[in-house]
Amino acid sequence: MSFIEVKQISKTFKLAKKKSGLLEAFKSFFKREYFYVKAVSDVSFSIEKGEIVGYIGPNGAGKSTTIKILSGILNPDSGECIIDGLVPWQNRREFVRKIGVVFGQRSQLWWDIPTEDTFLLLKDIYDIPDFEYQKNKEDLIDKLNLKDIINIPVRQLSLGQRMRCEIAASLLHNPEILFLDEPTIGLDAVSKQLVRDFIKRLNKEKKTTIILTSHDMSDITSLSKRIILIGKGRVLYDGNLKKLKNKYEDEKYISIKTKEKLDLKCTGLKSKKKSVDGYDLVIDTKVISISDILNKISKRVKIDDVDIENESIDNLIVKLYEDYKI
Amino acid sequence: MKYYFRALSLHLKSELEYRTSFIFSFLSQILVFFSYYFVIISLFLRFNNIKGFTMYEVLFCFSIIQFGFAFNEVFARGLDKFDDLIIEGGFDRILLRPKNIIIQILYNESDFVKASRLIQAIIILIISLIKLNIKWNIFKIVCIFLMLLSGILVFFSLFLLAASYCFITVQGLEVRNVFTDGGKHMAQYPIGIFSKGFVYFFTFIIPYAFVNYYPLLFVIGKSDNIYYAFSPLILFIYIIPCIIVFYLGVKRYSSVGS
Repeated sequence: MSFIEVKQISKTFKLAKKKSGLLEAFKSFFKREYFYVKAVSDVSFSIEKGEIVGYIGPNGAGKSTTIKILSGILNPDSGECIIDGLVPWQNRREFVRKIGVVFGQRSQLWWDIPTEDTFLLLKDIYDIPDFEYQKNKEDLIDKLNLKDIINIPVRQLSLGQRMRCEIAASLLHNPEILFLDEPTIGLDAVSKQLVRDFIKRLNKEKKTTIILTSHDMSDITSLSKRIILIGKGRVLYDGNLKKLKNKYEDEKYISIKTKEKLDLKCTGLKSKKKSVDGYDLVIDTKVISISDILNKISKRVKIDDVDIENESIDNLIVKLYEDYKI
Repeated sequence: MKYYFRALSLHLKSELEYRTSFIFSFLSQILVFFSYYFVIISLFLRFNNIKGFTMYEVLFCFSIIQFGFAFNEVFARGLDKFDDLIIEGGFDRILLRPKNIIIQILYNESDFVKASRLIQAIIILIISLIKLNIKWNIFKIVCIFLMLLSGILVFFSLFLLAASYCFITVQGLEVRNVFTDGGKHMAQYPIGIFSKGFVYFFTFIIPYAFVNYYPLLFVIGKSDNIYYAFSPLILFIYIIPCIIVFYLGVKRYSSVGS
């Protein structure tokens, strides 16, 4: 059996209908109408110890609901979930010692006092022995470069500094599983890189299992080999990120700079769009090679400049969403 | 419980970050609160007694309720402000911690400025006890400690009920003020001065009368009924269903979500 085993979990929320208009608001005051939203349906997957999994999907796809179920905050309507031998929502107190959760949008640090004080509270909450606490703290300070910021009131920290403290706070008790819910949201490039490097290192050195959600695809590509794509509450793709890329790798983007008008029709040309100073083309390299198409174009117009690109991972995701109609 | 006291000390530290503000709030609390007592004192300067209760008897009654309320404001304010915790999603974080849920809520907020009321309440209590010429015995001493404890418990229970209501909806929370603030203002006086309906309500629905009225009668010698001395113990029972209702709310939360 896997470290994390999720079997066919479903969760439906009952929400009150909200209509616009004063009259409608008045009506709904007396008689509420409800509708049901299937947040997740039949979600199954298993994760091994020490894996890093990117959990992706558009807004409202059911990512947060899944994370909440896995971390024991919510219990599903049906289905099973066993993590390291425990059912998250049944053995709450025992289970939460094994996990650390970072919500990118919500802080767990105390606003008016230095991070180190929050650490002390966490030490008591998780009953971390002095020796272990000291060791973990120093280790985290070192790796996340917190030395100069740990004694400053949190409200005075920058977003990037705060996120580093946030991550450290979630790891003081040495969790076996770390949930990262959009850990790099709003961070600058340097902070992002620092956070990513740290996560990689953590996974390598401590074999921490990491489940990561993010809308920033570069987070996912740099951290995880495996992704689970979820949309409208269902698992659409679960597997290797590279394979998914290969599926779309035959397509190339060619942008051409030219002042002349290009009239081109051939097999393998999937689309042609006029851009500000030329044309954007998409070709299928299984049908037509890059040199062939460039050859054809250069015969027709004078090319000032040319740019050839692979499908970007962001585009890939947009395409995936389109393919799966989510 | 170590984490609870740690959290409280952090609150104190946070509040002291804004030192000037803390000092002024503390002083203004003393003044505001003194005005409450002033109302009672000036009332009694005109009327000798209210339905047979003298000034110090009323102040005794008053200080017990104030003590209980202020105690909760300092040590369990998070429960009073539970709606914020639900709205802002902080409750999820509490569920992610391996400790008792209610205790974690208690320390989520604190208002140390209210400690000034706590001190005032104790001073007023001591003054009125001295002035009342009570014939002391062991039961009366025990009774006063029970009153103080039950004063804490009654507001704790009411806050718990109000917090449970937040699991269903965070709208219309003003209703709770009828029972906490409104009830508090009436219970500051010996309930017996009000009409029968109120007496029944504050005896059987919200048992303020067991906190200060019945034990008051015993302590000041208006009644010899020994049961009155132990009537504050009712609150130790009253809190049980409140805790159960709260945990039913937690259960609902984890199946319905926010």
